[in-house]
Amino acid sequence: MKIPTLSGVRGCVQITVRGEGINRLINALAEAGIPVWDIRPASNNQTADMKLLLRDFHALRPLLKRTGCRMHVARRIGLPFRLAKLYKRKFFAAGIGAFFLLLFVLSSLVWNINVVGNEKIPTEDILKAAKEEGVRPYQWIFRLKEPDKLSRALSLKLPETSWIGVERKGTTITIQVVEAEKPEKEPLASPRHLVSKSDAVITSIYAEQGRPLVQKNTRVKKGQVLISGILGDGEARSQVVVAKGEVKGLVWHEYQLEVPLVQKRKIYTGERKDKSYLVLGNRAIQLWGYGKEPFAKSETLTERDPLTWRSIALPIGWMTEKVMEVTETQETLQPEEAKKLGLEAAIRDILAKYGNDSQIISQKILHEKRENGKVYMKVLFEVEEKIAEELPIVQSQGE
Amino acid sequence: MTRISRRLRKWTNEVLDLPQDVLLDLPRITLVGNKELTVENHQGVRHFSENKMILSLNQGVLEIEGAELMIRAILPQEVMIEGIIRNIKYTGMGESS
Repeated sequence: MKIPTLSGVRGCVQITVRGEGINRLINALAEAGIPVWDIRPASNNQTADMKLLLRDFHALRPLLKRTGCRMHVARRIGLPFRLAKLYKRKFFAAGIGAFFLLLFVLSSLVWNINVVGNEKIPTEDILKAAKEEGVRPYQWIFRLKEPDKLSRALSLKLPETSWIGVERKGTTITIQVVEAEKPEKEPLASPRHLVSKSDAVITSIYAEQGRPLVQKNTRVKKGQVLISGILGDGEARSQVVVAKGEVKGLVWHEYQLEVPLVQKRKIYTGERKDKSYLVLGNRAIQLWGYGKEPFAKSETLTERDPLTWRSIALPIGWMTEKVMEVTETQETLQPEEAKKLGLEAAIRDILAKYGNDSQIISQKILHEKRENGKVYMKVLFEVEEKIAEELPIVQSQGE
Repeated sequence: MTRISRRLRKWTNEVLDLPQDVLLDLPRITLVGNKELTVENHQGVRHFSENKMILSLNQGVLEIEGAELMIRAILPQEVMIEGIIRNIKYTGMGESS
């Protein structure tokens, strides 16, 4: 009773029938079991429109002949006709097909491999190991193994890692690496003695490795061996090691100090004038900050800011000059203050030269005089400091 | 159909209380509003135009008058007519066949 299903897919035609015996044709069609539908008589009663399946079109011809009707096809509906139309435009259809095929092919390739989280292991090594497992750019995604299998294989190949994760997102593969913690290697050292840096009196000696040759309160000369790197009797059964340890001793430093009583000091007032230049090669073109400098005394601070491209400095850049006003103040010190300043400077110098853990045991002013507006002093400092110094043991080749 | 078989059918119909169209080959006509008319058990289209349709039945003729009439679908036993239906005339031919 109903209109045949999927008539759009199977294809149907709308025909216009002309003739006297349209009702006989309809009866004949119904008797033959050919489904026809939407039979619409035209207002002049001579013609009628009807639809039937493409499949039944050839069976229609003998019925038309028998009933004396004529027909022509008014409309072609459905997929078969569309396909035929598309077949006429083969290359267009092929293009559509090729586009989707290309899209599919390109999206099933691995395009990027990112390695995340490695610090000590070079990325190249990880990529090389991944390549051996088949993870490389331009590889088919469907040829890759499962991510968990991949990560297990990779962590077997890279023993320095404690965990490796492989994740695929689209066409990008991310290899996440967690490196195994390993104790840091000590720098290699050749066999050595520890010798004294200067004349001193030992206050403490602690040998971690090697044979201590001196004791506390021993007076040592510069270059004397404190901890020996040769174990044993020095004969056939001796062994050479890297001497390690800490030796502290009292050392005397003599300082000649001179402190001027009148101290000159420069102070920025905060007034400033900026000049801006455009730098082209070796030339600078001043763009801003023309005019006379209003300051009596000034200091100029120059900042260069060249254009850079990937750490290459280009010959074009910007330069700013900050002209800052300066006032000079004079301060006259009391001799006591000058002495204190001089001693502080000397102590700072000692700490900087002989190590921060040096301790000033005593200080003695040997000589002091005032002359030409300056205080001259000769000071002797007694300092406890590290005196050990490394001396490599030269292996004498036996004759 | 012979007299005896017809009487037998009539009797079974009465006894078993079956619908008439099943046994007696009568048309079943369904009308939906004035828009759609379904005739089962028809015997073909006799006249066919926009304003008038005549269907042959087993006994007699069914005349349908209206406007913009069309056959929505047609099968050997069934026909469905759509349009604006104004007048349906059933012309029976009695018991003769």
